[in-house]
This record gives sequence, structure tokens and C-alpha cells, in this order.
Amino acid sequence: MPDRGLENIASVVGIGQTDWRADWTRSRAGEKPDDSVGYAATAFRDALLDAGLHRDDIDGLIVGPTTAYERMGEVLGLEPRWGTQADAVNAVLQACMAIRAGLAEVVALVYGNDQRTAGTQYGGPQASGGANYLSYIYHAPWGLTSQGALYALILRAWTEARGVTPAEIGQVSVAQRQWARLNPRAIMQKPMTTEDYLAAPFICEPLRLPDYCMINDGGVALIIAESSRAAQITDNAVRIAAVARQDINRGATSLEPRMTEFYLPAQQASAARLWDAAGIGPQDVGIAQIYDSFSVHVPLALEGYGYCPVGEAGRFLTEGGIGPGGRLAVNSSGGHLSETYMQGWNHQLECVRQLRGECGKRQVANNRFAHYSSDVAGKATSILYARAAT
Amino acid sequence: MTVMTAEITIPEPVLGHYDRPMWDSITARAMTLQRCTTCNQMRYPPGPSCPICLSADYDWAPLDGGATILSWVVFHRGYLAAYPPPYNCLAVRLDEGPVMISNLEGPAPEGSWIGQRVRLCYAKEAGGRILPRFRLDRSAR
Repeated sequence: MPDRGLENIASVVGIGQTDWRADWTRSRAGEKPDDSVGYAATAFRDALLDAGLHRDDIDGLIVGPTTAYERMGEVLGLEPRWGTQADAVNAVLQACMAIRAGLAEVVALVYGNDQRTAGTQYGGPQASGGANYLSYIYHAPWGLTSQGALYALILRAWTEARGVTPAEIGQVSVAQRQWARLNPRAIMQKPMTTEDYLAAPFICEPLRLPDYCMINDGGVALIIAESSRAAQITDNAVRIAAVARQDINRGATSLEPRMTEFYLPAQQASAARLWDAAGIGPQDVGIAQIYDSFSVHVPLALEGYGYCPVGEAGRFLTEGGIGPGGRLAVNSSGGHLSETYMQGWNHQLECVRQLRGECGKRQVANNRFAHYSSDVAGKATSILYARAAT
Repeated sequence: MTVMTAEITIPEPVLGHYDRPMWDSITARAMTLQRCTTCNQMRYPPGPSCPICLSADYDWAPLDGGATILSWVVFHRGYLAAYPPPYNCLAVRLDEGPVMISNLEGPAPEGSWIGQRVRLCYAKEAGGRILPRFRLDRSAR
């Protein structure tokens, strides 16, 4: 183990969530089941129960980006000795960092989002995130404000550069729906064929409705503990084997690294670090959870992390396959497109559940590693989860 | 007090600390961008220093107006009153280097738009704001 690395330092000992399907049904019926802090609190109680821990065992707190840190700590009654605020992938990284530094030993990561019932705007002049990402608002005078439009620009340029067809890119939505239908927690259960995909309406062409994530209320929590402590807490801890990150910022406001390089240099640099730190390669990984606010994230990560050669993601989607029985299980819960849009947090739960062997009909057999990849706004970040030593 | 008018206007541009001279030049139908006087790199959007060499020295240089389409999309859902669907947005690489998001005015190319040569034009929007857009460059081969 490298002297200062984060490899195997920490393990997930507990996971929790709200009932996403119930949240969806109630919010569709016009109810407001809870607020963001409330969803997070429900998920936190669920994670404590899952870990068999008491609240007083928690000495670190990471709060998701949609809720105030102090209020969350107050509601959960936590007095941690260390804490911060982060999105899903960086929350896991920072938990490992804090544990490595001795700042905390058992860290709670909590996320709640009432984005559907609160009507959070991801498009339009008041787009959420505009204060942090100039690209979300700078092009509003020309009518480009929606998140979908940014990814539609990428998809168009990428499919033309690679010669990928609409039917090929449609395999992302189709495969993830197949997975969702094996997942009782997933919201979207209606079957979808390639023909259904191709017949679906364009929202921002070339993106069709099934290329978009499923915005929903809900909450997620994880409890991450120092690995030797984790072994005392539970016998099904899931190790965080390695993490890696590479940013790409030049030209970000004009979307240049998305459209001309498809984030590839950042993904490849992140991949090199990840595989080197873990001492394995993409051929050793059977499960990839890929942040998928839009379908196009998936092929970019397949190419960037070496699951297929650059230029062959379209073929990989149709011939290798990413659905049940395919070469690589991608977003095996249904992901953001079909399970729920918990902004990367639900992918962490799926990694843990797959490696614990709790996935029932969608369980991927004989697999030791689950890889999470996020390339949100040019931060190519990865977490490699590993099954408890056998 | 807000004066309510029936006129539907495009969203206001972001006016950060460095944006106003660019918008003034657009209003004068002679768009300029900052040019680094140390390494000659032009930049968009405007900002405090050169991302290439970190120099804070610059002047405002006119654009030639030539550009090449990098990507394009067509909105089929409306998000803004001033932009009823369907409408297009495109990304162009200006001949001077920077990438800019805008719209294509006038006739659209047959087939793919990517790689098509375009030229800068100025559109007068409701409310009088001048907006830089692009038209296919018919003189390009």
C-alpha cells in the first residue's frame, strides 16, 4: 500500500435510502412527502440501522450539495469532529481523505433532494447551479440554457466523430430500462425496445426523452468507516479500493472540452491513476456505474476508462452489451435514466449492493469490483469498490 | 419599480466585471474580444487574465467574422418565451480560436452542419438588443 494513498483506507458499512417509488407516486399525485433535509434524515436512519450503529458512533459528517450543512447536523443531532459538504463522488473521496488524515473514523454521508416537488429548474434563466457553472447561464441570450442542450451538443459532435447511429446510442436507455425492470426500487418499469426509443420525441435534438434522467424527490445515505473499524462493525463491508480524479477546465464555459475532446483526456488520466492504484484493469471489472444525467455520459466513460477502444463504444453498446447478460453490467439499477435521479448517490448504493450480493434478479455473479465514474462538468472522478475479502 | 411591457425579450446577458466592452462592441455591430498582448491569444468569455500565459495585459481586437460549426442542436421544447420551439443553437470555433455558442440565422445546411463555414452577423431583437449570430458562408467552398 502506498504511503500516502487512499487505497483500502475506508469501507462502506451502511447504506440507506427513502422509498423512491413511493416518493415518486406521492409527488406525482400532487403531494409533497418531505423536504430535502427530511429525505436525508430518513435515509440516515435507514443507513444506521443497516450498519447496526448508533448515532453516537458517527464522528464525521458530509452533507450533499442541496441542503445546508448546519441545519442538517442540527436535525440529525450530530456533533461530529469533522465535516464538509460535497456532491456524491467527492463526498466519498473526502470521507476517505478525512479517515486517512485521522480527522474522523466513522463518517455519515447524507443527501436529500426535493427537486421534483420544489420544481427545481435545470433549464431556463434561473437554472440551478448557475452560480457555480458559468456555462449554465452564459449562453441564455441565445436560448441555450438547459442542461440537456449541453449534452445534446456533445452527443451530436461525438456521434458524428465516431460514426455512431441513433439506434446504437439508444442501447443505453434500452439496457438501463431492462435493468430497472429487475430492480423493485426503480421507478421506470415500462418495457422499452430500440423501436420505442427511436419513436420517442426529441427534447433537445439529438437527445430524445429517454436520454434524460428521471427527476424525483428522495434521499440517500452512506456510512463509511476506517477499514479495520469497519471489519468490527460488519462482515459485509465494501472496501473503497481506489479513487482518482482529473479535471479539465480550459474552455469550460464555451463547452469546448465537452465538444472537441469529449472529456477523453481527463477520463484517460483518471483511469490511468485508478487502475494503477488498484493494480487491476478494466478487464477485471464486471460492474460499472456511470453518472448518467444523460445517456451520452455512458459511451464516453466506456471509451475513457478503456472498457472498449476509443471509437468503438457504439459497437460495444450493440455487440458487447451493457444490459443484463451483456459484457459489462452498466448502471445495473437502472441508473438516473430509469431508477431515479439522485445525482450520483443512488449509484453508490448499487455498487455496494452488488458487491454484497443483495441484488436478487439483477445480481451480477463472480464479480469482485464495481467502478463508479462521474464526469460532471469536466471533473473525471472515479471510485473503485471491492468486495469484502473472502 | 418594474415597468411591465407586453414585449417578450431574450434573456439578459451575464454582465461580469469584464463583459461590458464586448457587449458595447456588439451593440455597435463590430464585435471585439480581449486579445492577450503577451501571447496574442484571444479569449471568450471575457476575463481577467490569459488562460494560456496568465498575463493580465490585453487589448480589444475586432473579430474577422469567420467561423466553423463544431456542433448544433434543435430545441423541440420551449424553455424561454423569446425562443418558441423549434429553434437551433450551435457552437462555432471562431477563426481567432475561441469557441462561442450562438444561433444559425437564415438557411440551414443540407445534412450535417458540422464543419460548415459561417459568418458573424448581427440580429436586432425585440427590445432593441443586438445579438451576434451566424449565417452560412456561401462564399466558402
